[in-house]
Amino acid sequence: MSTTTVGIKLEEQFESEQQQRETAKLGMWTFLATELLLFSGMFISALVIRTLHPDSVTAVALHLKFWIGATNTAVLILSSFCMSVAIESSRLGLQRIMVRAMLLTAALGVLFMCLKGYEYYRDYVEHMTPFLHWRRYELVGDPASRLFTDLYFIITGLHAIHLTIGIGLMLVMSWLASRAGFLQKHQNRIEIVGLYWHFIDLIWMIVFPTLYLLNR
Amino acid sequence: MTPSDYVLRDLEVPPPVIDVPDDYLHADQSLWSWFVTTDHKRIGILYLVSITGFFILGSIAAGLVRLSLVVPDGEIFTNDVYNRLFTLHGVIMVWFFLVPSIPNTLGNFLLPLMIGAKDLAFPRLNLLSWYIFMGASLFTVFVMVWGGVDTGWTFYTPLSTQYSNGWVLAAVFGVIMVGFSSILTGLNFVVTTHKLRAPGMTWFRLPLFVWGNYATSLILVLATPVLTIAMILLFVERAFGLAIFDPDHGGDPVLFQHLFWFYSHPVVYVMVLPGMGVMSELVTAFAYKKIFGYKFIAFSSLGIAAIGFFVWGHHMFYNGESPYAGLTFSLMSFIVAVPSAIKVYNWAATIYKGEIRLDTPMLYAMGWIGLFVIGGVTGLMLASTALDGHVHDTYFVVAHFHYIMVGATVVAFLGGIHFWWPKITGRMYSEPWGRVSALLMFIGFNMTFLPQYVLGYLGMPRRYHVYPPAFQPLNVLSSAGAVVLAAAYIFPMVYLIYSLWYGERAGPNPWEAKGLEWTVPSPPPKHNFETIPTVDFEPYDYPNVIPEA
Ligand SMILES: [Cu+2]
Repeated sequence: MSTTTVGIKLEEQFESEQQQRETAKLGMWTFLATELLLFSGMFISALVIRTLHPDSVTAVALHLKFWIGATNTAVLILSSFCMSVAIESSRLGLQRIMVRAMLLTAALGVLFMCLKGYEYYRDYVEHMTPFLHWRRYELVGDPASRLFTDLYFIITGLHAIHLTIGIGLMLVMSWLASRAGFLQKHQNRIEIVGLYWHFIDLIWMIVFPTLYLLNR
Repeated sequence: MTPSDYVLRDLEVPPPVIDVPDDYLHADQSLWSWFVTTDHKRIGILYLVSITGFFILGSIAAGLVRLSLVVPDGEIFTNDVYNRLFTLHGVIMVWFFLVPSIPNTLGNFLLPLMIGAKDLAFPRLNLLSWYIFMGASLFTVFVMVWGGVDTGWTFYTPLSTQYSNGWVLAAVFGVIMVGFSSILTGLNFVVTTHKLRAPGMTWFRLPLFVWGNYATSLILVLATPVLTIAMILLFVERAFGLAIFDPDHGGDPVLFQHLFWFYSHPVVYVMVLPGMGVMSELVTAFAYKKIFGYKFIAFSSLGIAAIGFFVWGHHMFYNGESPYAGLTFSLMSFIVAVPSAIKVYNWAATIYKGEIRLDTPMLYAMGWIGLFVIGGVTGLMLASTALDGHVHDTYFVVAHFHYIMVGATVVAFLGGIHFWWPKITGRMYSEPWGRVSALLMFIGFNMTFLPQYVLGYLGMPRRYHVYPPAFQPLNVLSSAGAVVLAAAYIFPMVYLIYSLWYGERAGPNPWEAKGLEWTVPSPPPKHNFETIPTVDFEPYDYPNVIPEA
C-alpha cells in the first residue's frame, strides 16, 4: 500500500497552513448553518400543519412508505460511514482507499435516489399526487390532507436536490483526487466535501421522523 | 511666439517620467480587470456603482408615488400602475439597495483593512456574490418594469399565490437568487472576522464598524435562508399548485407571514447595524475622543442581532395572532430597543466635551442620531399592542420605517462614504457642498416623513392613492419634501464624481483618525499592507478621554 505526503497549498490571503484549514472549515460550517435554517422553515411548517389538521396528517402519514424511508435511512448512515473512511484515509495519505471509499459513498447516494424514485412512483400509483390536477387524489374527501402531502413532496424533493449535488461533488472530487499529487496540495478539500455529505445525511435523519414517524 | 518657439521649448523639456502609482485603482486599468478582480476593494467599488444605480431607479419610483399622492383622487396613475410603482420602489430599495448598502460597499472595502488582512477569507466567493447579485437584480428589475408586480415587497399570500396578475413568479425567483448573494457575503464576513485578524488584533481591539458588520453577517447567514424557503413555498404553490398556505384547503396564510417576518424583521437590523458601526467611527474621529463604553457598544450589536430574531410577531398583532403571542412579541420588541438606546447614549457621551469638528461626515452623524431616535421611539409606539391597533397599516408605519431605513441607513451610508471617500479614491471632495448636502438631507427628510406620521395618526391607510381631500395639504408638504430630499441625493453624486478628477489629493489620514485603514496610503496598495501589521494599540486611542465626572 502506497502512502503519499499530505498537505495543502497556501493561498495568498493566508499566513499559515493551519489558518487556511481552519478558515475553510469554518466557512463550510457557516454554510451548513444556513442550510439548517432553510430546512427548519419546512420542519416548522410541517409542525404547524400537523397542529391545525392532526387527523388529515395521520391519514397521509399512513400512506407514506415507511419501509422505503427506513431503508433509505440505513443507506445514508452507511454512506456517511464510507465518507468517514475516505476522510480518515486522506489524512493518512492512503489515496487509493480514499478514492474507492468516495466512489462507494456516491454509489450509496445513487441507491438512495433510486429507492426514493421508486417511492415517488408508488405514490403516483396510489393516487397520492394531489398537485397533478388531471389525476384523481386518493384522499379527495379530506382537503386538508393535501397540505401535508404537498409538503412531503417539497421536503423530500429539496433534500433530493441537495443529495444530487452531493453525488455530483463526490464524483468530481474522486476524479480530481485520483490524480497524483492531489493530497499534497488539497487534502482539506476532502474534509470540506465530507462535512457537506454528513450534513445532508443528518438532514434526512430529521426529515424521516418528521414525515414518517411522528404522525403514525 | 512663433511656431519655432514651440519646437525649441519642446526640445528643452525632458521626456516626462510617467509615475504610475501602485495603488489598487491603478494596478491594472483595463475594464476587463475589474470584472475578474478578486480584490475586496475593487469588489466594494463594483457594489457601490451598481447599488447607486438601483438607488436612482428606486428613487424615481418613489418620486412617482409621491407625485400621485399630490392629488387626492388618484387620477395621475391607474390603480394597477400605482400598485406596481410602490412594489417596484419597495423591492428595489430593500433587496438591491438597503441590504447590500453599507456591508457590501464600505464593509467589503474596509473589513480586511481594519483587521489587518490582505483580503477577505474567500476572495473568489466575494466576486461570485457580486455576479449573483447583478444577475438577480437586473433580472428582477426587468421583470418589475416590463411585466410589473403589484403585491408590495411583502408578497403576502393568498394575494401573491392566487389573485395577483403580475409577474410574481419571476420576481420571487429573483428575490430567492439575491438571497444567495447575501448569504455568501455574510458567510465571508463571519469567517474573515474570526480567522483573518492580524496578530494582536484581539476581539476587543476591533473597530466597532467591524463588530457591526459581524453582527449583521450573522443575521444574513441565519435569517436569509428562511426567506428563501418562504419564497420557495410561495413559488411552488403559485407555479405547480403545491398548496401549503392555500386557505381553500385549510392552509394558513399567516404561516407565510411568520416565515416572511422571521427574515424581514431581522433584516431591518441588517440595514441598521452597519450604520451604527459607521456612527461609532464618525463620532470618535470628529469628537477626537476615545469611544465611551466600547464593550457596551460591541455587545449591544450582538444583543440586537440575537434579540432581533424573536420580535417578528409584532407585524401580526392584528392578523389573527393570539393575544398571548402578541404580548410576548410586544415585550421582546421593547427589550430589543434597550441595546439600541445604549449605543445612542454612548455616542452622546463620546461627543460630550470632545473637540468637535463639524465636517461633513459629522453633520451626517448628528442628523443620524436625531432621525434614529425619532424612528426608534415611534417604533416602540408600534410595538405596543394597543397603540398599534390604531395606527396599524397606516402612514404612521410608513413614516416609522422610513426613519429607520432612510434616516438611519441611508444617512449613515452617506456619512460613511464622505468619511472614507479620501481613503477609497485618494481625493477630497468640496467641503462646503458636503455640508450643504448633509443639511439638506436632514431638512428634506423630515419635511417628507414627519407629515406622514400625522397622516397615519389621522387614519390615512398605506398603499392607497385615493384619499379624503382633507389629507391633501399634508400630502403636498410631504411631496415637496421629497423634492428637497432628491436635491440632497443629487448634489453628492455630482461633487463626489467631480472630485475624482479635480479634488485635492488626500494624504493617508486627512481626518487624523485612528485605525489601521488610516495607516496605509490613500488609495491603499493592492495587497493593503506591505507586511501584516502587529497590533499593539487599543482602539480609538485618541488623545482626549472621557472627562472625570
Ligand atoms: Cu419588525
